[in-house]
Formats: sequence, C-alpha cells, structure tokens
Amino acid sequence: MNPLPDDPRLVPFYALTQGRTQPDGRELPWETMVVATSEGRSAQPKLHFEQRAIVDLCGRSVSVAEIAAHLGVPLGVAAVLVSDLHTAGYLAVHRPSVTDSGRPRREILERLLDGLKAQV
Amino acid sequence: MSAYPRPGVDAPIPVKIVIAGGFGAGKTTFVGAASEIAALSTEAAMTDLSVGIDDLSAVRGKSTTTVALDFGRRTIDEGMVLYVFGTPGQDRFWFMWDDIARGAAGAIVLIDTRRIADGFAAIDFFEDRRVPFIVAINLFDDAPRHPLESVRDALSLGADVPLVACDARDGRSVVPVMVTLVEHALARSMAGA
Repeated sequence: MNPLPDDPRLVPFYALTQGRTQPDGRELPWETMVVATSEGRSAQPKLHFEQRAIVDLCGRSVSVAEIAAHLGVPLGVAAVLVSDLHTAGYLAVHRPSVTDSGRPRREILERLLDGLKAQV
Repeated sequence: MSAYPRPGVDAPIPVKIVIAGGFGAGKTTFVGAASEIAALSTEAAMTDLSVGIDDLSAVRGKSTTTVALDFGRRTIDEGMVLYVFGTPGQDRFWFMWDDIARGAAGAIVLIDTRRIADGFAAIDFFEDRRVPFIVAINLFDDAPRHPLESVRDALSLGADVPLVACDARDGRSVVPVMVTLVEHALARSMAGA
C-alpha cells in the first residue's frame, strides 16, 4: 500500500486537505500524541472516511507519524487532518514538551534515562 | 509490555531521538531493533518541509518528491513513549534533516568501519545545529575491528562526544547505546549547552 519513495503520486492526498500542507494553527510535530475525545467518538458516523479512520486509530493514543503510516498518507497530510479534527473538538493533542532551545526539558530527559536504564 | 496505554489513561509524553549515518550504516536495522512494534514507514513530501528556494531548485520535480522515513516506538514507562526516527540515507535528502531533528533529545550517528568517512556529514550537521549526539560503531560481521580511539581520530571527534560500539540488529545491544545518548544529552542540558 505504501508508495515507493520516488512515487510521484501526491496530488490526491492534498485534495483531502484542500491543498494545505501545514495545519492552520500551531505546528504539529510528528511525535505529537493524539487521542480521540468522547465528542470525536460520537461524531464518527458523520465524518469523512479518512477522518473516521483517524478517530478510530486514536481510540488509544498514537502519534501523528503513526497516523500517517497507518493511513498511507504523507506526514504533512496527517498533520492537517489531525489539526482540523482537533479544532472541531474531536481529538486531543499532546505536543512534545521542549524548552526555548528546542530540546526536551531536563525532567523529561531524566525520566527517559531512568526508563531506558531499567530496560538494559 | 503493552505498546499502548489503556484507553482512558492520559496520553503519554512523547520523546524523540534520531538515528543517522551514511547509506547502509544500519539505521533502519537499529530503528527496528529499538522498536517494540514492527518499524513503520511513512513519507514526507518536499511540500511538507520548510525549505528555501535554493533547496527546491536542487531537487527535480519539486512538487512530487517524497522521502521515505522509518520510525519505531518504544514504551519507556506508563506515561512516556520514545519515538526513534531514522534519517534518509541519500545525500539529496539533506533538506529534511532539520525537520527530523527538531525537538529531538539527541542523535546517534551510526558508523560502518569500512566507510568511516560516510559519517562526517551527519557529525557536521549535528555539531552545527548543536544537537546532542553520540557516535556508535555498528559491528558488521565482516568489517574490520578498530580500537575505538582510532575511529575517534579518523572522525576527528571531540573528546566530549561519547563513542561506543553496538550490534544494530540486537535489541539488547541498542538499549545501552540509547542510554549513553540520553546521559550525554542530560549532561549537556545541565551544563546549559
């Protein structure tokens, strides 16, 4: 299902986003965690196919990157679709927590280190 | 261990690291070994990326270029999940490294000792962007074994950059490499770097 890296198929994906390649609001990093809200779950029947598939996937929290991979759409398309559903109140998004320098906060690194050490 | 938190539990905090290196250095293999799910592949298009006019002009068919990206996922604890992104191996995809590295805790540069010079570009990139990184020699079965310090010399690597060896195929071997990276990133963060 996934196209080859050089597959020129692109335009149809951007029809899903009305040609947008970036979310209307804040940027959504690829590792942003996304989870369906109860409003999203009850709205599912009236959503478009791709939107319904995303709300379905987000019954458990998944990243924008995982949504893109599972739907077979480019990362930018997934970010726009998620952003629209978030604006509609159907998805909650949890962005990575970074400092002004753009790196994860120290507490995050400490927790990551502890968790990894426990898995050595 | 479950790949996902239970429904109703708050979303875990996402953290990202980057696996870089030359073509064939074992990036995809490392991502697979580090991931608790089968590694996923997705694509980024040129139009997804924040690129300048110069970058666009360098790539043929500007609106149709897509780049495949491999990534994996690993549960760190009940409230944190690690994403491991591999960089595309081909040089012509340099333009997207900034997007991959944005917000990352750090990067692991994989080295094949048969092609040590292939690591220079990634090392230069992370030094330039001040992204914490370490270098990991991927011990291919048929590759010559050099003392770590001679590899450090060959790469002109600063004494402050950790250098380790691993087998990128082995899930038990890649975890200590990630520990070394996060220790380094944490030390840099404490030093205010």
